[in-house]
Amino acid sequence: MLPIISIKNFSKSFGKTKAVENLNLDIEKGELFGLIGPDGAGKTTTIRTIVTLMAPDSGEIYVNNLDVSKDIRKIRSITGYMPQRFSLYPDLSINQNLNFFANLFDVPKKEIAGRKKRLFQFSNLEPFANRLAGQLSGGMKQKLALSCTLIHNPVVLILDEPTTGVDPVSRNEFWIILKELKSEGVTILVSTPYMDEALKCDRIAIMHEGSVLAHGKPEALTALIDNNIYKLTGSGLINKYIDSIVQITGILSVQSFGDSLHLTFPKLTSEQEINDKIKDILKQNFMLKQIEPTIEDVFIALVEGKSQNGN
Amino acid sequence: MRQIFYLIQKEFRQIFRDKSMIGILFIIPLIQIFILGNAVTTDVKNIKLVVQDQDKTPYSRELLRQFIHSGYFKINGIEEDYNKLSSYLDSGKANLVIVIPKHFQRDIVLGNKPDIQLLVDGVDGNSSGVSLGYVNDIMQNYQERLIEHLPELSLQIKNMHRVEAEPRFWFNPNLESKPYIVPGIIALILLVITLFLTSMGVVREKEIGTLEQLMVTPIKSYQLVTGKIIPFCILGLLEIMIGMGFVYLIFGIGIKGSFFLILFESLIFVLSTLGLGIFISTISDTQQQALFMAWFFMIFSILLSGFFIPIANMPPVIQQITRLNPLRYFIVILREIYLKGTSLKDLIPETLSMITFSACLFFAAVIRFKKKLG
Repeated sequence: MLPIISIKNFSKSFGKTKAVENLNLDIEKGELFGLIGPDGAGKTTTIRTIVTLMAPDSGEIYVNNLDVSKDIRKIRSITGYMPQRFSLYPDLSINQNLNFFANLFDVPKKEIAGRKKRLFQFSNLEPFANRLAGQLSGGMKQKLALSCTLIHNPVVLILDEPTTGVDPVSRNEFWIILKELKSEGVTILVSTPYMDEALKCDRIAIMHEGSVLAHGKPEALTALIDNNIYKLTGSGLINKYIDSIVQITGILSVQSFGDSLHLTFPKLTSEQEINDKIKDILKQNFMLKQIEPTIEDVFIALVEGKSQNGN
Repeated sequence: MRQIFYLIQKEFRQIFRDKSMIGILFIIPLIQIFILGNAVTTDVKNIKLVVQDQDKTPYSRELLRQFIHSGYFKINGIEEDYNKLSSYLDSGKANLVIVIPKHFQRDIVLGNKPDIQLLVDGVDGNSSGVSLGYVNDIMQNYQERLIEHLPELSLQIKNMHRVEAEPRFWFNPNLESKPYIVPGIIALILLVITLFLTSMGVVREKEIGTLEQLMVTPIKSYQLVTGKIIPFCILGLLEIMIGMGFVYLIFGIGIKGSFFLILFESLIFVLSTLGLGIFISTISDTQQQALFMAWFFMIFSILLSGFFIPIANMPPVIQQITRLNPLRYFIVILREIYLKGTSLKDLIPETLSMITFSACLFFAAVIRFKKKLG
């Protein structure tokens, strides 16, 4: 089966800055695909090109077999795009915003009410239908924006960091909605800087400095790491010991994750050995536990691997 | 069609959601017409006059009485000391000083030619010229009355072949400045409202990101532009009707010509301001930038329109530049229709020029806008 979004050798620069370089990616019909990466990785550039807001410098992008450089209007009518920043009319109500976009997308008049009702079912925005969009909370705004991008029943839904700046509860709710949409057969491409959200995707691509470092199922990516990762927590702040911990022989990397540290050691190094060495350094109670690598660990390992290769 | 309708509906909802917009659309024109209509005037009245009557005879007093009765002058003082006269001009207590010489009456009766001295404050050249005109009128009247009182002289005059100019001012018989200025103010209000609303309206969508959201819908760019323009066109026409209403209510100045002709010409003019507004929105990213740009263009088009400064007084190069300014034609057209009741037939040169420049501006701006949208 043909991929619904197909990106071939796509490059885009802004002046001298190369935003995306030689990107290749296929997204299959019906999957929930995540573009993962820090700010400036090229996620937004890729997304904006897919939704025909920018033209590629070189390479080709096809959405449902339509060329983004040629079939602009056709692509626009089958995709739903939700930009990073809330961009609906703050001085129109929820209802007016929904009606407005329904009409612009040429949704048949008879169907508008039904579609709104269905969107209200998952967004729970119905009680606020007459409230101005500008007066909604962050989470509600996101749900309204999503509703507006869904009003024309798009085949592909493209979301650029939809949950950035949204509270954890709303974030969670938002992802539940995405899963529901996926179950209805909508292909979803979502970009996010949050690694925990990556795990909720069917497949992800990790982007860094304009190119894809790795892509595949999240579990498959974590399996890429063939070292052991240990999580170190202490009773106080242990970040200050990083400098000493780095000196431990055999250690590959130390990363700070909130109040814990992730230490990477080769498989050969035994846990007992590490435990003893840390005891010497910390001189306080601590807990060392081997953990499954997270996407963060994968990301860091990939970025470090890349920069080492580069050197 | 359907998309355009909903774009227009959205625009009106946004405009009228904002309570301050109602004020901008209705109250500001009222204030502008009232204040500008009263303030911007070329009438010269209340000229401050200081007199020195060295003669103090019935003849000299009669002359002074005529000055007072003319209604243009305000006697600000009678000064006996000749050396002090210049201080009145210096301090601004007088715009005009009249000195009636000794033996004024005697000289007239004897048939000599007495000279009256006038000292005029020439800082405001326009006003001093006008007041000098008044003085000449008064002197002429005075002489005619003198002749009637001197029978032997009047007989001589009757036998002379004298050419007299009897001016009649048409369309504005009293040469009041209000009927001339006020239609211009309506044009200015139309310019300001449509220019600012359009440029800000588009840039605002850029700023809050809704323009991008509109662009990912399948609407065509001509639909987007039409949906932006029609509401402001309607507002502009509404605005000019409000303006004409206020002008009638406040100053009692009605339209001599056709109301619909004014609307038609306004529509052509508005094309140029909308075009300029759209052009500004293509070169600015923030509402602040748009505001400055709109201000910049507004000042130029007002100053080069002949509203404040008569175009005939400008250097030839600048005069040629004003030909590119649609406001120049529009003000002329409005004045013509307002004061003379001129019909379209006699306004064809102005109308054609305005159509040419409005259409050029408009289509250039729209093409640029479409290009920007990609």
